[in-house]
Amino acid sequence: MGEHANLYMGKDIYFWNFIVLMVFTLFEVAAVFFETVPGTEIAISRSVVWAILIVVGIVKGYGIAAFFMHLRDEHKWFNITFMFPWIFVALMLWGIGLSNPEGVTGLPSWCTPDWSYATER
Amino acid sequence: MSGHGNEVANSTWLRAVMMAGMIFTVGIIGFGVLGVGIAEQKHHTWEDEHHHYEDAKSEWKDAVAAGTIDGDDHDSELYIAKEEAHNSEIAAHLSYLTYRTAGVTMLFLAGAYASFIGIGGFLNASKPKGDDHHDDHHGEHEEHHGSASPIIFAFGIMVFLIGLPDFIVACKAMLDETATAELGMLAVSVSGLAIIVIAVSNWWFEDLPFIGHGEQIATSYPFEGDHIRKVGLWVFIMSEIMVFATFFSSYLRMRTEWCTKWAFENSNGGFDGCRSEDDWVLTASDYLRPGGAKLDGFGESVGDFWTLLPGGINTFALIISSYTIVLALKTAKNTNWEAPKGFMGKLMPTRKAAVRNYLIATLMLGSLFIVLKLVEWSHLVAEGFTIGTVQGSIFYIATGAHGLHVFIGLVIMLYLVFKADTVGYDEDNAQGIEYFGLYWHFVDLAWVVIFPAFYLY
Repeated sequence: MGEHANLYMGKDIYFWNFIVLMVFTLFEVAAVFFETVPGTEIAISRSVVWAILIVVGIVKGYGIAAFFMHLRDEHKWFNITFMFPWIFVALMLWGIGLSNPEGVTGLPSWCTPDWSYATER
Repeated sequence: MSGHGNEVANSTWLRAVMMAGMIFTVGIIGFGVLGVGIAEQKHHTWEDEHHHYEDAKSEWKDAVAAGTIDGDDHDSELYIAKEEAHNSEIAAHLSYLTYRTAGVTMLFLAGAYASFIGIGGFLNASKPKGDDHHDDHHGEHEEHHGSASPIIFAFGIMVFLIGLPDFIVACKAMLDETATAELGMLAVSVSGLAIIVIAVSNWWFEDLPFIGHGEQIATSYPFEGDHIRKVGLWVFIMSEIMVFATFFSSYLRMRTEWCTKWAFENSNGGFDGCRSEDDWVLTASDYLRPGGAKLDGFGESVGDFWTLLPGGINTFALIISSYTIVLALKTAKNTNWEAPKGFMGKLMPTRKAAVRNYLIATLMLGSLFIVLKLVEWSHLVAEGFTIGTVQGSIFYIATGAHGLHVFIGLVIMLYLVFKADTVGYDEDNAQGIEYFGLYWHFVDLAWVVIFPAFYLY
């Protein structure tokens, strides 16, 4: 604390981080709530909603970890401690892809083993 | 904790007992107003709506039996009247559940808070005076001792968990007359709970006099010079990320195989085993988000603004509580703090009061989260989304584990409020708030993943 003494428009970084988190939460709820872009006929597809939820989640996660948890000002070993389990998260996501029925034929070849025996047998 | 440099009179702990009394009184008032007063009125309304629905249903059945209308005709006046009455009955039931669950949860929370702070305060107030400074004042050298409290605490959790299956059966028997159990089945878990309370109260006893002198410092690479408590907390958070990652990956693994409405619409007509609406499985988000797959008698989604509202409010409550705890820490560390003007100045006339009130605000927001969480669960169960399905199981386990983390955080925060009100936090000992804040922000971070995954997706 105190590392962010700089003020932006009279308020510190914690305040602005708080505002960003609130606005982005509204944005993600709105993305699910509206079936078309408000005021237009443009449909919001499931893929777009999915992308919005992931991007907003990453932004919010970064805001909380970097500013509220002060990781931005901590030395690298605290950052490494925080990031270490995410390796397993990535591995689990990869495993989900491989073990899913769609993983046999639906995933790009660079992230799957050779599944040809499964499809050609 | 050691090297406290401050003595706390036994009488100070009696304030904890008074605090417990106040909290329990608030809980009883909340239960009386919401869980009994308003809930009883809502119950009458629900009964009226139920009779109204039964009448409308009988009228429709009679008409179908007499051949006046076709049973499959969903445009007939009698069918519409029946379904409208059914919707009104469900709405009245959910309204009753809202107040009843909110009241009962307030009473439960108040009881749990009062038990921890009251029993802890009483045990510490009864300790012999000599125990007050059993491990500090070693001349010029601040000798560091480890605390046994966390180990006793962990042992208490282990004992509690060993007895948990019997504990659940016994609790179920108390709530449900059809189930049977023996009182002895509570013994192991209750012993565990007693050990937990004793360990927590002793932990508080050791920490309360701490005014910032003698924080234990790590001496080895790579955390040389850092506070050991801080390093320990980050390692703990690392393990917590893995715990929540297992919930999340289990959910994602199963979810990607389920034939949900979302998957159906996203695959333009479905895939193998997912060719029609009959194949759809219902997830929690199908009940909660607008346009979800759970339909009423008119074929319209039951999810709307109101069903998503508790989850939405909870998201904002956690974000705001993350900010209020940052404000508590900032205020505690600010040696040039000045009381704000106007109404806020009356709320926070001194730095000590400001820190305490920010912590109270955080405590109240966290408690609101628990109340709304259980209200939402009660609605989902009433609508038929129970833990007996795979979708329900992963939803209740993941959100329940998160809720448990919030609850544990609230019990710790209760102590922070007590310390802020008695010894106080300043620039020297504010790390207590800072390290708890790390945990609290992590709970917020976990919700950032859970909310879109389970409520919106």
